[in-house]
Amino acid sequence: MTTAATIDLTRCTSCHARFLPNEGACPRCGSSDCSAYSASAVGTVLAATELQYPASGWHAPHRLALVEVADAVRVLVIVESALPLPGDLVEVRRDGDVYRARPEPTE
Amino acid sequence: MTFHVASVGMGRFGKRPEGLIALATEAANLALEGIGRKPVDLLVVGSMFAHGPHGREALLPRLVGSLGLETSSGFRVDSSSGTGAMAFHTAVLALETGRFERALVIAAEKMTDRSTAETTKDLSAALHMSEVAAGATMPGLAAIVTARYLQEYGLSTDICDVTAVHARSMAARNPNAHFQKPVTMEEVASSRPVALPLRLLHCSAISDGATAVVVEKGTGPATVLGMGQGFDALRLVDREELTTFAATRIAARVAYEAARITRKEVNVAEVHDAFSPFLLMHLEDLGFCGPGEAPKWFAQGWVGLDGRLPVNPSGGVVGRGHPVAASGLAAIGEVALQLRGEAGQHSIATRPKVGLAHAVSGIGSHNFVTILGGPAA
Repeated sequence: MTTAATIDLTRCTSCHARFLPNEGACPRCGSSDCSAYSASAVGTVLAATELQYPASGWHAPHRLALVEVADAVRVLVIVESALPLPGDLVEVRRDGDVYRARPEPTE
Repeated sequence: MTFHVASVGMGRFGKRPEGLIALATEAANLALEGIGRKPVDLLVVGSMFAHGPHGREALLPRLVGSLGLETSSGFRVDSSSGTGAMAFHTAVLALETGRFERALVIAAEKMTDRSTAETTKDLSAALHMSEVAAGATMPGLAAIVTARYLQEYGLSTDICDVTAVHARSMAARNPNAHFQKPVTMEEVASSRPVALPLRLLHCSAISDGATAVVVEKGTGPATVLGMGQGFDALRLVDREELTTFAATRIAARVAYEAARITRKEVNVAEVHDAFSPFLLMHLEDLGFCGPGEAPKWFAQGWVGLDGRLPVNPSGGVVGRGHPVAASGLAAIGEVALQLRGEAGQHSIATRPKVGLAHAVSGIGSHNFVTILGGPAA
């Protein structure tokens, strides 16, 4: 039995917005009073694309997906597998400044 | 107090050998000749990339010198691809103080002397750092938005190709457009992928170019009836909706209210399509049709030169070319030309009374709507 993977999301104490990534201030109200909380790392792919000309530092083809995790928080992730389809479930993890995703492990 | 566009100066967009100052000077001289070189006492200039070792710094004194102006005040503005519209709005707001009689507004960009990689990086300044850190570019995020729109309304990528064909067919009539040849559905669908569903022919080009307009006190066929701006979250992940641009909706509402008109009174529109399928979303957000209804407008031919709402008779951003700062002012200039009956081969079928120009900064974080038309009866 493995423990389900989790990811840290951010909650704004002032306006209760939930978001990622946390860059020190709430993107809705600007408050710096934000705290992390743990949620399931499994999210649903909303849309994905494969960039033939990614930003500097990355090599083509570079796959990006917009993923919705718990509490309707959305995160832009680098996809490490074949390009997912909308509705696919992926497991999201933080890797330094970026987030990465791979297909949700199946038992 | 009312103000109107008294003259429009459009240089040719595309790959040009001239530098930024020469391009801006050419467009400005055309606009100044249009008013018989009457004096201007306000200069507003927009440029996103007026930096670096290319003699682009100190833009205002250089232009005052190259144009021989006796201008008392000047401002430079920058809002990425919305810059040209911001320059126009700045000029009108300054004129409204009553301190100036006549403004020269110039928006110019020199882009083709840098590599595509450098330009892509420069343009990413209009995106959020966290998105760029993940490898995102403007076309990458635009692809995600487009994919969501197609999925939301059960559309195939054909509709993206339709918008690109529209842009290029309009541009083919505009001698100042970057692209002079129409393209077919097949050519668009087989152009190389940039970030699917977006292909090369869906994306605006890297272009050089400049536009200038003179705005002065008084009324005319291109009187400023209303202006509006709208903001949205810079990060795509923080937007409540992805298939509609809140910044366009807000800007349009403010502009319609200021002009005291509804969208039904608009006879021609220049809509910012840095990526051709964005035309669909912006047409909906400008209120011309309901959510998901824009594809039908293309299918029915309602956006053609003789349609119920001719859209982008200049070719729009995809057809006209995209010297980023200039695009927003080129849209306003095109609407003014249509209203003044000066659009030549790209005139819409019936000379319009009211026109709307739209501009977008970044991926829709700060958008502008400008409504021009004959003065209210």
